[in-house]
Formats: sequence, structure tokens, C-alpha cells
Amino acid sequence: MNVAAASPSRVLVAARELHKAFPGTVALDGVSLELRAGEIHALLGGNGSGKSTLTKALAGVQPADRGTLVLGDAEHDASTFTPDDAWEAGLRFVHQQPSTFPDLTVAENLAVGAQFERSALGQISWSRQRRAAQAILDRFEVPVSPRARLSDLSAANRTLVAIARALASQREEGSGVLVLDEPTASLPERDAQHLLSSLQRYAAEGRSIVYISHRLPEVLQIADRVTVLRDGVVAGSLERAEIDHDRLVALIVGGQLDHRAAADRPALAAGTAPAVTVRGLACGRARGIDLDLRPGEITGLAGLVGSGRSSILAALGGARAAAGDVTVDSRPLALGSVAAAMAAGVAYLPEHRGDMGFFDHSLTDNLAMVVMPRYRRGLGSIDRAGARRAARELISGFGVRAASEEALLSTLSGGNQQKVLLARWLQRDPRLLLLDEPTHGVDIGARAELHAVIRAAAAGGAAVLVASSDAEELVALCDRCVVLVAGRISAEVPCADLTADDLNTLTYAEAR
Amino acid sequence: MNGTTEADPMEAAGAPAARSGEARSGRSGFGHTVEALTLALVTVALCVFFGVWGETSATFPTTANMEALLANQAVLGVATLAILVPLVCNQYDLSVGANLGLSAVLAAKVLSEGAPLPAAIAVALAVGALGGLVNGLVVTRGRVNAVVVTLGTALVMTGAVNGITGGQAIIQGIPSDLISFGSSQTLGVPNLFLVLVVLALLAWRVLEHMPIGRYLYALGSNEEAARLVGLRPQRLVLMSFVTAGLLAGAAGMLMVARTGGASPRVGETYTMPAFAAAFLSAAAIRPGRFNVFGAIVAIIFLAVLKSGLNLAGVQPYVSDIVNGVALVAGVALAAYLGRRRLRAARGS
Ligand SMILES: Nc1ncnc2c1ncn2[C@@H]1O[C@H](COP(=O)(O)OP(=O)(O)OP(=O)(O)O)[C@@H](O)[C@H]1O
Ligand SMILES: [Mg+2]
Repeated sequence: MNVAAASPSRVLVAARELHKAFPGTVALDGVSLELRAGEIHALLGGNGSGKSTLTKALAGVQPADRGTLVLGDAEHDASTFTPDDAWEAGLRFVHQQPSTFPDLTVAENLAVGAQFERSALGQISWSRQRRAAQAILDRFEVPVSPRARLSDLSAANRTLVAIARALASQREEGSGVLVLDEPTASLPERDAQHLLSSLQRYAAEGRSIVYISHRLPEVLQIADRVTVLRDGVVAGSLERAEIDHDRLVALIVGGQLDHRAAADRPALAAGTAPAVTVRGLACGRARGIDLDLRPGEITGLAGLVGSGRSSILAALGGARAAAGDVTVDSRPLALGSVAAAMAAGVAYLPEHRGDMGFFDHSLTDNLAMVVMPRYRRGLGSIDRAGARRAARELISGFGVRAASEEALLSTLSGGNQQKVLLARWLQRDPRLLLLDEPTHGVDIGARAELHAVIRAAAAGGAAVLVASSDAEELVALCDRCVVLVAGRISAEVPCADLTADDLNTLTYAEAR
Repeated sequence: MNGTTEADPMEAAGAPAARSGEARSGRSGFGHTVEALTLALVTVALCVFFGVWGETSATFPTTANMEALLANQAVLGVATLAILVPLVCNQYDLSVGANLGLSAVLAAKVLSEGAPLPAAIAVALAVGALGGLVNGLVVTRGRVNAVVVTLGTALVMTGAVNGITGGQAIIQGIPSDLISFGSSQTLGVPNLFLVLVVLALLAWRVLEHMPIGRYLYALGSNEEAARLVGLRPQRLVLMSFVTAGLLAGAAGMLMVARTGGASPRVGETYTMPAFAAAFLSAAAIRPGRFNVFGAIVAIIFLAVLKSGLNLAGVQPYVSDIVNGVALVAGVALAAYLGRRRLRAARGS
């Protein structure tokens, strides 16, 4: 790295032997980590390996049970480390959970947790606050107004505000640590690229950046060093020269990836009648959408953010009002009602799992919610034991890492929550399976497993429609891809000989 | 970063804002102003209506009625402020009325035993704050839901009031200075209403223009995010309950001044009307969120409605029903406007 400000080997933060246990899980089991000035340090690991727990321990918002944190010259007991200590030491965070305030304005969001511009009487000076906010937004090229409420912004812009907040309060060049926990999960490709190049600039100024991601191409692109966690311990560290895709995968999954090929599925018989027909669907930006979805076929929806992918899935799932003619098994589907869609055999997994989980309920409750009639017994009572048994089977079948089927959904790592929600819908044996970014935030091991599960669902007779911003994923998973540009279908291509680059070329086609 | 500028309404709700920069602030523009002032305008219209309506034109627009109307709202207004502070961070304090009653009774009792006025004020505030502290500690340390905690402490306080007074009102020995302060005006405005205005200004300044107030709103908006940015949710919640208690104590003192004493069963009757006004505050001035001036507008709106109907000779139960309907309609209107605003923002 071209580090001018500091010697590259200077250690800014060292964590030693961090331990953190939750009831039923040891999240960190003696993790040590050194962060050097001027480096981008990628922190990798499967879902539930302890990355976010480590982040929160460094932030002091959820202190470790024991261990030591060395910040510059000061040594702290990690179990009594506070957010103020972290702030003082120049540590800044973008956490995995959305950590912005929907009811407050952008200007306020930038100030809460950092600093308000205040006048002599301790009162907030709003004009100065807004000017400061505007300067930050300009500097980090976030295209929003300081007066806008966060709830009015897109997920991507909300993420950008959280990132700008963390970056803006960094002190002078050549110091400070920035930790980003899956910041690109909800960012479109171009914003993600922009972020990556900004990060490289900050690192070059002498800061230390911890970058957590499941997207290996990003890691290969920017990481100077990699630490991989597995089951709460450091599975290995790699220096720049040692980093390559296969090594990373081996460290993350602790063995070989399970490559169950798409070829396992029987080829579609030509002329299979479609299970689902869509004619003239209009919803949000999407207009005049015609689709035929055959049972056993996996169709990909490719397109930029804003091309209408999510709208189409939401419309078919009944979650958004829409116009058009849709039939499932030749019967017309009433649009605009999730209940009607479910009754017709449609299962819809939206993009933001935050909208779909009952987080303060057990996995059993979350899984049973959509198949309650199965567990109904006389007098309207519920067969708890049956529901728990089914939950246990789903948990092991989908490889969910959880203490038990009675664990609360909120205690699972992000990727494991996604598996639970997918399992919830697949147990209904849907006719039409709608998946919006099904592997967002899911580790590569689990991703391969999820793909296998989706293929199995298709082989079982479901028509599958998958939207993803990841061209690699679509090409690997789907039989054919439908490309959306500005709300209309611009191309339809079989995936057999398609490469991710071809698909990207199509999606960016007329976008400028 | 520019990837989102051609965004779909659902996938990138902020895109219009992105393109037009300042334009979509969510807080400016004519439509928004009308929205913010709807309840205030309805209140003015109601005043005009009762001023010219045959049934009330002789009694409603009189100085005496206006003075009574405002003075009567002081205790309720301060109680509403007390409820508002924890409500901003999503905590319900159901004990404000009972706490107000207990503070009033104890202040009246020390006055009747000859203590000087400042001492009585100190007693009222201390009792109120202590009640709030207990609420706050049980909620934050004991991790018990605030609704349950404050329901319990309300019962305890009500019991204590009855024990102290033996069910009798305390009216002896209240200094005449206090009573005359409570029944006179400055520049034509009832003194008690002025006290409310001062406290409301203070609350507004703290909630809207001091960092601590913004932290409370932030906490109410997303507790997990508040924790992740290093705020201390427990401490903020504790503080909000103590503040609520202090304000309840102040309201108790105002009640002593207004009624020349303290009767045991009056305090708790303030809880529900104060909650009504606090909820209705989200329909005015700053639509979609609980706010101080919205609460003041709501209180005056409800008071005008009630006073006008009373003067028209309508049975009290009818005016209760009208009040209830107005509350729900107002809050539903606020929710509708909020949804419309969101839809407009998302461009669909
Ligand atoms: N609050 C909590 N209560 C109980 N268990 C928890 C809690 N938070 C995390 N865990 C557990 O600790 C382990 C590590 O979780 P963590 O969130 O750190 O994983 P992660 O590496 O960030 O995963 P992901 O890639 O899915 O985000 C998991 O097994 C998780 O279930
Ligand atoms: Mg995580």
C-alpha cells in the first residue's frame, strides 16, 4: 500500500483473547485481531461465526465477557469497555443492523451519536447543523437533502447516511479506525464500487479499515489483509499476497464447497404448460410485463436497482397494489392481497428480511405462522410438540445455526435469519416461489446450500422467480434470465451459455 | 453516489429527493403548512362558530368564559407535558394523574400545617420527582413494561392519597396569596395559563432544540439504533420518567392554586384527557410525531369543543362522546396525512 502518513506496520488497535458467550452459543472464543494503520482488513466468516459480535465488542455497545483491547498506548479491559471509550479512541462503526432513525431528518441522523452544532446556551443551532450536514453529504456524495426524513429515503440512501455519519466524525488524517459490517448488502453495484474506492482513499490516508462482507469479489479487490472467523475462533489470516478466492472459501467453510450441480435436475420437457402466466402487469415502475413461468423452471429477474424487479415480485406476492392479468394453474389470481396469493400457492420472500420476521418470537413460532392449520387440533388448540418437531427438522434440513428451535429469531445471525424465513415458505410446497435477493447477507457456504434448496423446490414442481443484483448468482442458479430496463422487459436469455459479464452488459444496456 | 437516481419508487424511495435536492424536505411547502395548522384552524373555526351560534353567542365569546376556559386548562396542560416527555421515547406513564394528585395533597397538607409556600412547592416537586424516579428505576433496572409499572404505581399513589386524607378534601389553611394567584390574570391572561405557557416553552426548547431532546426522539424512533450509536437508552428513559414526575408535581401545585386545596379523587381523572391531548398532538404543528405545541393546540381544541357544547346546554355525556370521537378522528386524520406524505415522497 502507498502509505505516506504512517508506517504501515503501526498497530492502531489490538484485540486480545476476546470471549463472548450467549445462552446456548459461544460467539467469540478467544479471538485476537490487530488493526494496522493504512490497511483495509477484511473480516470474513460464515453466518454466525462472530463477526458482528466482534464489531459490537470493539464498539463497546455489547462488551465482551473477557479479553483485552489495546488502543494506541492505552490498555482496556474489554468487559468494561464503553461506547465513549471507543469514540474517544477514534473508532467509528457502521453496524449491520440499520442504525439510523426513521423519524428524524438526515441532519439529525448525522448528529445523533456524533455531535450537534450548538450555540452558547447549549441550544442546537439548526442553520449551522444543516450546513454541516450539507457539507458532509456533499463530501461523501450522498444525494439527499439534510431536511429529508430518513423514512422517506431508499434503503441504499439510508445506508449511505449511516456510512457518512461514521466517516464524517473521523478526526484528522492518519488516525482512526473505521469498521463497516456488511455495508454493501443493500447497495446497488455502482454505489458499492464508489464506496470501495472511497475506502481505499481513506486507508491511504493512514486509517485502518475493517471491512466485513460476504461478497468475495469485493474482498479480493480491496483487502490488504484478511482474518477469517469460524465458530468464534480465528480460522486463519492471510496477507495480501496470499489472498485468493479458493483459499478464502476453504477458510470460511472449513473444507470444500458442496457443488451440487444444476445438472442434477431433470431437463425441462419442451412444451411444459406454464404454471403461472402474467399479462400486462403494471406496478410501480414496472409496465406491460408479460411472463410465462413453468413448473420446475427457475427464472431470474436481472436489472439495476430501480428497474422494477422488486415491484414485480411484490405485485405477484400480493404485497403491492398492481394491475394486470395473472393466472396460477389457469385460475385468475386476485392481485393486491397476500392472503389470496398464498391461497393460490404463491410464496413471496421480500428483499428486507426485517419486514418478514417475528423477531421476538421463537423459531418455532416463526416457522409455524404460515402453516398454522397443520397444527390445529380439537377445540382450536395448537399441537406445540408437532410444531417444534417440524421446526427442528427444518432447522437441521436448512443448516440453520441456532441454539434450539425455541431460540428467538432476533438472536440468530443475519444469514441464519434468512434461512429460517426461506424455510418458512418452502415448507408450504409453493406453486410459485418469489425470491427477492434470497442470498443477501448469506455466507458462501450457506449460499450454495440455499441454491440447492431452491433447485430442489423447482425440481419438486414449483415455478421459481428470483430477483438478484448479483449477476453471478443469477447465471449460476437460473435456467433463463429476464432483463428489466426502466420498468420494461428488454431481453430474455437462456442461462446455459451466459456469463455474468454478458448479463451485466444487458442490464446496463440502455440505462444511461 | 449516483446509482440510485433512476430508481423505482419502491426500491429507492428517496430517488425524487435525490434528484430535486432541497425540494422534498418533508417539512416545507404549502401543503405541509396547511397540514400542520389544520387542528389550529379547526379550533379557530369552532370558536367563531360558538361565537355566532344562537345557543352560545351570548355566553361563549365572553371574557369570563375565555378566562375560565384557559385557566381550566393549566393543570391538564402541564399533565399533558408530563405524559409527552416519556411518550416521545415510546414509554407510557399512566401514573401522571395519580402522581399529580399525591403531590397536590401533600403540598396542601404541609400548607394547612402552616408551612411557607416555597416549602410546599418544594414538597410537590419532590414528591412528583420521587414518583417518577421509582417508575423509571423499575422500568429500567427491573426491565418491566412501563404500562404495567405505572399502572401499579398509580394504584399505590391513589391508595396513599386516600390514606393521607381519609377521603376528605384539604381546604383549610391554604394561603390566600396562592388562591388569588390562581384566580387572577396578568395582562388579561390567567396566571395559571401563563405558567403553562412558560413550562411548555421550556419543554419545547429542550425537546426540539437541545441534543437531549433529539436523543429522546431518536430513542423513540429506533431503540436498537440508539444503542448502536452509543446513546444510553436506559438512562434516557429514567430521565424522561423523572421529568414526567417533576411536571406532575408542578401540575399538582397548580391544582392547589386553582381549587384552593386538594381533594383526593381529582388527580387520577387527569390521566385519560392528558393522554388524549398527547396523542392528538401528533395531528398538529408537527404532523406524525408527538410534540409540545401540537399538545397545546390539542388541549385548547378539546376545551373549546367541550365548553361550547356545555354552554349550548348539551348533556355532559354527549360532550364526552363528541370529545372521544374528535380524538379518534383527529389521530386517524394525522395517520392518514402521514401515509399520504409517505406516498407522495415515494412517488406512487
Ligand atoms: N443477542 C444475542 N443473543 C443470543 N445469541 C446471539 C446474540 N447475538 C448473536 N448471537 C449468536 O452469536 C453467534 C455469532 O453471531 P454474529 O451476529 O456475530 O455472527 P456474524 O458472523 O455477524 O454472522 P452474519 O454473517 O450472519 O451477520 C451466532 O450464533 C448468533 O446466533
Ligand atoms: Mg453479522
